[in-house]
Amino acid sequence: MTSDALYHEALLRLARSATGAGRLPAPHATAERDNPLCGDDVVLEVSLEDGRIAAVGHRVRGCVLCQASASILGAVAPGRAPAEIARARAELAAMLREAGAVPAAPWEELAVFLPVRAVPSRHTCVLLPFDALGDALARARE
Amino acid sequence: MTKDLLARILAEVAARKPLVVATDLSTGAARLVHPFEPEAGLDPALAAAAREAAARDESTKLERPGGATFLRVFNPPVQVVIVGAVHIAQSLAPMVKLAGYEVVVVDPRRAFATEARFEGVPLVREWPDEALARIGLGRRTALVTMTHDPKIDDPALAAALRSDAFYVGSLGSKKTQAARRERLRAQGFPDAALDRIRGPVGLPIGARSPGEIAVSILSQLVMALRAPAAPGASAA
Repeated sequence: MTSDALYHEALLRLARSATGAGRLPAPHATAERDNPLCGDDVVLEVSLEDGRIAAVGHRVRGCVLCQASASILGAVAPGRAPAEIARARAELAAMLREAGAVPAAPWEELAVFLPVRAVPSRHTCVLLPFDALGDALARARE
Repeated sequence: MTKDLLARILAEVAARKPLVVATDLSTGAARLVHPFEPEAGLDPALAAAAREAAARDESTKLERPGGATFLRVFNPPVQVVIVGAVHIAQSLAPMVKLAGYEVVVVDPRRAFATEARFEGVPLVREWPDEALARIGLGRRTALVTMTHDPKIDDPALAAALRSDAFYVGSLGSKKTQAARRERLRAQGFPDAALDRIRGPVGLPIGARSPGEIAVSILSQLVMALRAPAAPGASAA
């Protein structure tokens, strides 16, 4: 696996777009997750409306994989129910670890992470924003 | 020296500002000079001598037509910022302390930056941009990056290049250094700034083990501080 194959153009574009980056004016919950082995650090804020995600705001200090994953969440998560996020997270993990299928629409863009399958040590980078959002949603329900 | 002057000196030292106290040796009158900040009305000969004394970290006597002035230098302690709580850092940090300098290790990776690996060494488990803004980089700062991970090393080097740090080093092969140079150039740093980065880092003493590499880095750092005009002391 060359780094060019891992960090292909679509992935870099997603990372640069930083969709959903920033703070929310009045989030219902905030969660932070970091990866102690590589230093990636994600802060995720979420606000809810009628049990669905109204908005997410994230701050990512990390590699492009982590940034791209957070961008996808920024684009797709608003309007979804918490259960949909949990399912997408499970399908994404299966795609990476067990060669599972690419999650179905509206998550098809997660296919940009297919090259990461071959690099187990980087799976956490991709999953970190989903885990932070999961934590924030759990906290919002409390 | 008046009590008021002493209080001001202590305050400046506590704020880690380089300071020179100029005492007229015939009258005993003393005043503060900030060696690296221009001051209107200050005798240019005194300003230049104070600046040179502070840069050399050496108190000195200045002879002028009007009489002699003693320039007493109060420099903040040298601080060595090690970015990357890696194996070589475990050797370098205690050596830096033995050399009489302050040391701090910055690494957001909690698995590396542990008390067990760095007993008695101040650890900052944050990203370099945040950590370095708080630590503050000045003329008496040396910074060396060791993570080999661009997402951690690059922002640290960028912060160091924007500062007056007297020593900036980066662990990595010639090939790594060339790639890093290109990335920082893309961020807008000109060649003159990039030339400040010492890489491959350390004096060429054939160092192999982590301890030996730490010695080569520390000796290069001392040379940059104490003998910047010596052959081979400058970065480029």
